[in-house]
Amino acid sequence: MELNLERHRLVVVVGSGGVGKTTLAASLALMAARRGRDTLVMTFDPSLRLKDALGIGEEARDREVRVDADTPGSLHGSLLDAKQTFDRLVLRYAPDGAASERILHNRFYEHLAGNLTGILEYMAVERLYEVAAEQRYDTVVLDTPPTRQALDFLEAPERIVSFLDSGAIKLALRPWFDEQGHLRVASWLGFMGRHVESFFDRVVGLGLLRDMAEFFQAFGPLYDGFRERALEVQELLRSTETAFVLVSGPGPEQIPDTMFFARRLLEAGYQLGPVAVNRVHPRFEPPAATAAEDPTWAEARRLFHWLGERDHLGLAELGSLLPGRPLLPIELRPEAPTDLASLEALGSGLVGVDGLVKH
Amino acid sequence: MKLMDRLAALKLVVVTGKGGVGKSTLAAALGLALARRGRRTLLLEIDPRESLYQLLDVPPTGGQFERAFEGLYVQNLSPRAVLDQVVRERIHVELLSKRLLSSPIYEHFVEAAPGLKEVAVLGHALRVIRGLAAGQAPEVDLVVLDAPATGHGVSMLAAPGLVAEVIHDGPFGQMGGELAAFISDREQCGILLATAAEEMPVQEAIELIDSLADRLSRRPEAVVVNALYPEPPAGDRHAEADRTLDLWIRRRRVNDRELDRLAGAWQGPRVELPLMRLDRGVELAQTLSHALQDALEAQTSWN
Repeated sequence: MELNLERHRLVVVVGSGGVGKTTLAASLALMAARRGRDTLVMTFDPSLRLKDALGIGEEARDREVRVDADTPGSLHGSLLDAKQTFDRLVLRYAPDGAASERILHNRFYEHLAGNLTGILEYMAVERLYEVAAEQRYDTVVLDTPPTRQALDFLEAPERIVSFLDSGAIKLALRPWFDEQGHLRVASWLGFMGRHVESFFDRVVGLGLLRDMAEFFQAFGPLYDGFRERALEVQELLRSTETAFVLVSGPGPEQIPDTMFFARRLLEAGYQLGPVAVNRVHPRFEPPAATAAEDPTWAEARRLFHWLGERDHLGLAELGSLLPGRPLLPIELRPEAPTDLASLEALGSGLVGVDGLVKH
Repeated sequence: MKLMDRLAALKLVVVTGKGGVGKSTLAAALGLALARRGRRTLLLEIDPRESLYQLLDVPPTGGQFERAFEGLYVQNLSPRAVLDQVVRERIHVELLSKRLLSSPIYEHFVEAAPGLKEVAVLGHALRVIRGLAAGQAPEVDLVVLDAPATGHGVSMLAAPGLVAEVIHDGPFGQMGGELAAFISDREQCGILLATAAEEMPVQEAIELIDSLADRLSRRPEAVVVNALYPEPPAGDRHAEADRTLDLWIRRRRVNDRELDRLAGAWQGPRVELPLMRLDRGVELAQTLSHALQDALEAQTSWN
């Protein structure tokens, strides 16, 4: 499936950490704006130089910032930061000041928010929901977290819904402790109840459990909202107006990771589009034996020849594992793009008859 | 003291770094070098999708101890599986532990409690080192931990302190306290930071060095820079007419610039490893391990 800017309003860029996703996402967004689409790129982990190139600073953590790009469509950028967004979410959706204070100062919340795993993904979902609901953009390009389990991000809405629908949350909303300070789950687990309490005390500590109970209860009024939004984001991600661009590194060793993503995306029913293979070494002629040449030059030629062959072998293998799917190699540049001009140069290489984006 | 001697005297070496910079290859290379030196070593990987075994030419470990070479073992752990095991050990009634492990309360609440999985994993490493681990655990002198990619790496090391702070008693609270003390003990635990001489990896490495100092008051034993392009001979001018050489010179220039940037933020020991014409596998790990050992024996520790 090719990327079609007329049809695809949301482009999600996925792939392992370190393959160049964020830069590619910025490039795609720039090309969309070049084509007259009002575009937003939501990034996770941009380098300082990319932030400079786009003119995105700390203020972009909380709201979209316009990029000075001189394109027919506008280009905006935003940064995703879990902790700040979570705080803002609490302040926005909590029923009153007292409730939000309770949450923000809850000991469990501080540790949970500080830990960040899972929260980052969930916050991105909330942010995406806001953007989609506001409908201010023709195209949104969404970068994803730079982890090997980057699909956790996509599964966050499902996990939220399953958590909220599970027995766990109903338990959380009931008073956990009775007047004697005993855990009420005793009745849920029948005769084993006392063992459960003793387990929790011995393993986790009743103090922590109390903090967790308070935390989940304070969030009570917010759950319906979370659930609704999570369901909408789930639908949005699976819609035919959403395309996934999978970015891979070069070489055969990247293939297991890339295939893992591809399989998971297809199994989950997402619209998998082109696969971009980034930083591919160009092929060089096999080294000619010249007695006059410095041995270090000769060794370097052998190295570069080997790199080019390896990367192209990887391309061929990947192509055979994903038949019928557009595979786009992006040649290695000495430097990653660091300003709008070089992003544009990268982007223009992505467009064309054999390229990533259909006019 | 030589850096190699310093590392060999530790009980736990944590190899951390951004994804995609060859951290796992470095961990394998270090394990091989230490084993060659006579230290019985366990290479521990924490990843639901294991891949370290490929660097040592052994089958997937499936959570068991796999012997790779004389004095070198490898094991992959899934944090959740280790946590479940701790629960099973605490709740002796099997029926009850089965129900607990599959209950929504455990699934969502215990999972959500920060740090428990990390404590379970580090606790396992400590038990292996002390010869107290269950099952057919080999006798080891040292554990090399291939930590999760950056951010998570520091969080993992900070988790025991966090848990000890939040949970005061019980097995996790105690484990947390013990592990926090172990991690902050410079004679027992050391950190090796893997990076590449490219913009993002160096930026992350610098952030990680700061984060280690802030959260754990520790600094790495060394920063290892992987996959460097070779240095072009000085004073050559015909590069413009030659595509290969032009790319080489420009790529090396990026490496040099990033090495300088790293040097600005880190004045401690640094090891540079070259790009090699070898696919990811045991031959690459072996070759790197010799280069790594040479470099570590030539440098002095500053810790």
